[in-house]
Amino acid sequence: MDATSHNISKITHSICPFCGVGCGIGLRVEQGKITGVEPLANHPVSQGSLCAKGWSTAYAVDPIDRIKTPLIKENGEFRPATWDEAYRVISEAFSTAISEKGPDAIGIIACARATNEDCYAAQKFARAALRTNNVDHCARICHSPSVAGLRQTLGSGAMTNSIDDIEKADLIVIFGCDPTENHTVLGGRIIRAKLAGAKLLVVDPRLTRLARMADLHLQLRLGTNIALINGLLHIIFTNGWEAKEFLNSRCENEKVLRAKVAEYPPEKVAEITGIPEEKLVAAARMYTEADRAMLSYGMGITQYTTGTNNVISISNLALVAGQIGREGTGINPLRGQNNVQGACDMGALPNVFPGYQEVKEAANRDKFAATWQQSLPEHKGLTSLGMTKGALAGDVRCMMIMGEDPVVTDPDQNHVRRALEALDLLVVVELVMTETASMADIILPAAAFSEKAGTFTNCERRVQLIQPAIPSLGKAKPDWKILGELAEHLGYSGMDWENEEAIFNEIASLSPIYQGMSYPKLAANYGLQWPCNDQAPDGTALLHSKEFSRGKGKLIPVNHADPAEMPNEEYPLFFTTTRLHFHYGCGSMTRKSPLLERETPNGVLFINAEDAEALAIKPQTRVRVISRRGELETRAIVTDEVPPGTVAMPYHFKEAPSNRLTNNAQDPVTKMPELKACAVRVINLEDKTK
Amino acid sequence: MKAFILEDIEHLRDHLASQRQVFTPQYAEDSTELDWLPLTDKTASVTAERPVLPTYPAKQFFFPDREILFQFDGSAFKETLPEVEPQVLFGVRSCDLCAIAYQDQFFEQDPYYQARRKATLLVGIDCNQPCEGGFCPSVNAGPFIRDGLADLACHQREDKSWLILAHTSEGEALIERLNLQAADPNLIAQRNEQETQVAAEFPSAEHIETGIQRINQAQVPAETWQNMGLQCLACSGCTNLCPTCSCFTSYDRPVAEGIERERCWDSCLYDAFQREASSHNPSADAGQRVERFWFHKFSDEYVKSFGRYGCTGCGRCEKTCPGVIGVHSVMKRISAAL
Amino acid sequence: MNGFMTPQAIHIAEIYDDGEASRHFTFEPADGVKHSAKPGQFFTLALPGYGEAAFTYLSLPDAEGRFKALIRQAGSLTSALFKCDVGDLVGFRGPFGNSWPINQLLGKRVLIIAGGIGLPPLATIADQLAADKSTPIALIYGSRSPADQVLKYERSAWHMYMPILETFDYPSNQEQLSGTPLDHVAEVEAKLGGKPEVILTCGPEVMMNAVAHHFVENGLSPESIWLALERRMHCGIGECGHCYLGSSYVCTDGPVYNWQQLTQLHAQTTT
Repeated sequence: MDATSHNISKITHSICPFCGVGCGIGLRVEQGKITGVEPLANHPVSQGSLCAKGWSTAYAVDPIDRIKTPLIKENGEFRPATWDEAYRVISEAFSTAISEKGPDAIGIIACARATNEDCYAAQKFARAALRTNNVDHCARICHSPSVAGLRQTLGSGAMTNSIDDIEKADLIVIFGCDPTENHTVLGGRIIRAKLAGAKLLVVDPRLTRLARMADLHLQLRLGTNIALINGLLHIIFTNGWEAKEFLNSRCENEKVLRAKVAEYPPEKVAEITGIPEEKLVAAARMYTEADRAMLSYGMGITQYTTGTNNVISISNLALVAGQIGREGTGINPLRGQNNVQGACDMGALPNVFPGYQEVKEAANRDKFAATWQQSLPEHKGLTSLGMTKGALAGDVRCMMIMGEDPVVTDPDQNHVRRALEALDLLVVVELVMTETASMADIILPAAAFSEKAGTFTNCERRVQLIQPAIPSLGKAKPDWKILGELAEHLGYSGMDWENEEAIFNEIASLSPIYQGMSYPKLAANYGLQWPCNDQAPDGTALLHSKEFSRGKGKLIPVNHADPAEMPNEEYPLFFTTTRLHFHYGCGSMTRKSPLLERETPNGVLFINAEDAEALAIKPQTRVRVISRRGELETRAIVTDEVPPGTVAMPYHFKEAPSNRLTNNAQDPVTKMPELKACAVRVINLEDKTK
Repeated sequence: MKAFILEDIEHLRDHLASQRQVFTPQYAEDSTELDWLPLTDKTASVTAERPVLPTYPAKQFFFPDREILFQFDGSAFKETLPEVEPQVLFGVRSCDLCAIAYQDQFFEQDPYYQARRKATLLVGIDCNQPCEGGFCPSVNAGPFIRDGLADLACHQREDKSWLILAHTSEGEALIERLNLQAADPNLIAQRNEQETQVAAEFPSAEHIETGIQRINQAQVPAETWQNMGLQCLACSGCTNLCPTCSCFTSYDRPVAEGIERERCWDSCLYDAFQREASSHNPSADAGQRVERFWFHKFSDEYVKSFGRYGCTGCGRCEKTCPGVIGVHSVMKRISAAL
Repeated sequence: MNGFMTPQAIHIAEIYDDGEASRHFTFEPADGVKHSAKPGQFFTLALPGYGEAAFTYLSLPDAEGRFKALIRQAGSLTSALFKCDVGDLVGFRGPFGNSWPINQLLGKRVLIIAGGIGLPPLATIADQLAADKSTPIALIYGSRSPADQVLKYERSAWHMYMPILETFDYPSNQEQLSGTPLDHVAEVEAKLGGKPEVILTCGPEVMMNAVAHHFVENGLSPESIWLALERRMHCGIGECGHCYLGSSYVCTDGPVYNWQQLTQLHAQTTT
């Protein structure tokens, strides 16, 4: 930086690149560099606030450590290359793999933090240029069960209400999520609502901040969500607290559900969940008595082998209580990444085109084939976890991973490493040298969000427009441009868009939920919430107000099932994963901030005082944590935040990678891995008696 | 102090632009956010409407959020003081001027701050109406500019003409060539009367006054601070946007020439702010950190050194805090706590 | 000479190990510019690439401008320092802070109580008082175990000038004194020729607080009990804010405080 007077020459309004809240953020530009940020007072979502991550954004995209040129690995070392050379090597490897094993030998991972335009390009590249449906992104390990579950019950997997509904609710239910850590500005609005008189009901095995503030905290045992909800439904039906008229007119299958929950009387549920009966009754009463109850959930519902069923269970509860389809209510999955909603909307998924139009439907394939001028593959593709499995089996030979670090963020790290090593070619498109990037054969430099135009879709389905604050760094390019140029090398020229707006217009023409949107319209408002079309030209704040996307809300009976790996004598503690406010994902952006990196506690195993005492563990004691899949060393933090019998780690730190321990046992419907529950044992490395 | 009459304030602004780089709060193109930006020919006129504060306070000009302190080339450490073109901050409000005066004292020995400060002249504008959320009268920071805190203080009169008060010789020099008409001394008395009227228009600030008392008597129960500590999300918004906050940290960055040491704004609300290498943390509890922040803003202890409270009543913290513990929220809570 | 925030270049002149993960470093100016310092003051070392950290003078600058510190390996900066050799160049800023109040100590019965790594900050004042014949002085030095002790040479030199009691949480043989320094105050009082009139203490905060409470309860004025505090520091000049203690900054008003001052500072807040 130049030592001249502090001369902010412009402030570009953008959308924060971290979580799914989608806060407005001002990027402060000084001499062609982003040196700081500011909150936007008039932004409808963030209303003048930012969280610690948002405030660190300038460091996150700082030129230091940025990859500025394509890199090719030779003899174990990376050397700079031209784009042409990189494209040639990639297209040769792809073509070879395709000719030997067919298009499904390639796997594409899109970036859920990149723009809609980038994600649209990724799935178009897979489908039209490569002719495979092997495209996926990190929603797989995040909210894929929400999509799968809610599509069955409601017809649509997105947040049913809007963030504004927080202020309209008189009961806020926080079920398996930690908003003041992970969706901080939204969490702040929950705090505000609580102070203004709303009641707060928190369901979480951990004593989170909102649990401490709650009117009622159900501290259930790990992995007992369905038993709990079936138990609540049992109590609701027994007492006649269900929303009778709503059920009659807007739902189907009530009888089947009643029969199922009859098997879950309070004593049985209390035993399974560890929650006393009185609390079960209190919770059931709170939720049904509330005039407007808004329920939000997160990874504590989805990241299980029963993830899809957990989501269905949440849906059952909301439907039976009639707490949906009105302001201040709803089923509100909190999407993690700033554009994971968008990545799903764009069809960066193996089974759907943009707009959730299923690949298996011929009519859909025909529509896209016509616009894309290409015949399209019929069978659904592999998920990200399927791709790693396929790599080990030799079926998937090449992968292109954009803006993701599966070595740190996917379950069973050793398995992921072996899979990536088995590939003929691994291409990684990245900002910085992540663990996954260091394993690549070719790295392509990506433009950061501050260096391109495009749209992000936040958790409340709000599509927001961003403009570049500065030019792309070095030779970096946006994902969509890279994919378009690579497609050209592979002989497909249907991706030679002039600019991002051209891509967006193509999206709007093919995806009914985006149909009424355009860049000028998005710029004129603070974005628009889909569906936005002729019926709803200004977007839609509230879904399912008159009828559900599928017509009637479907009640589906589901059963409790233990997590795949329960504690036993050899691995006596439950292990779960968490996020911290201060870091995002693998930390590739947040750990560049000296303030956030300093905040990292010196040690990242959270353990209850009881368990700690049994192992003679004190704060900062060095420990080894071992699971059936691997082990790691770190330091202990003794806290009441986790209950006895359960330990927890955040997943942001590659030096103490919690995913070396986690289980990749999967939800059969979505292949979601059970990141939230596995079994470990902990060893005190400073115990002089052992 | 000399007083002058001016019909059109833009006339003054343009005149300043002919001598120095001018920065002024404005709405950038397509923006509804008021920001300190360089004056251009697209900058809108100064309005007489309800005052709005720019998002960032003026401290960014003297104590920027990131600044290089020195470089090391392998054998020598070289100080890197900023080189600053002469500039004017045009349109600073009284609260922010009080904060500049406060930081002028705090950073008195700091050559980085002083290099930037000495190159800068301040032209302030009185607030003729309360802004939203401000409470400057309660902390003796407004609504009108205090003597000596600006080189030029501008006051818009009822007939829309402007009273210009030159408080420093540099201020006088700035407007010399405008040959402004001297103002009648009774206009100054009128201005002083008007300040009392404007101050009375501010909403009740009893919670501020009571809160200040309770802080100074260490009367707020620890539990109240701890409950608010639970709401602190450590976003750092308050400390970033507070005009008098000055804490910073520093770190080394590798550069082509070797290593450079950079300092950046820090926040005492972070858990690791006082955490030592041994992990010992004297302020491990969020309630302690929250209490201490407000102590620093409202304790009489600091009046001894700075002549005023750390808080200048701008209200930015209340607007940005996601956890609902900005100044109004906190002062209401502690005034009511038994 | 250092600038406001810019270090002066200094060389490492000597290194030797002393205690567990602790080392003696002797530094000398690289540009011939000397400085002077008082007992209790501290300085910072800059290791380019690793930032800057605060350390106490173990011995004050001599005629050649050489001074010493005892440094324990705790974080990334000290780990980098431990990889340095004699002759390597690092940065210096200082001296910072206040000093032990020598005028209030001379001629009084002074008891020094050090815990663990709290001994080095007391070394320079122990040296100065030992040199003054009119000041009776005694030292109680508490450590976890014999392996954790530091300043072996300094202690053997002090033995000639003052009674020293060494206590251990985990003694390694029967002859060694077991317990904390406070457990052995009575023994030392005899050797001091009476109850101490001034206490100087440094060590973990819990220990120092216990020492202060003990002597206040036994009738000593809180203004006669002096503590050397530790805090995270960046600037050393009262600007960066990290070392705050109520309305005081430990780097400028301290690190030496008396118990009366500390009591008043702690009373400023309720948490």
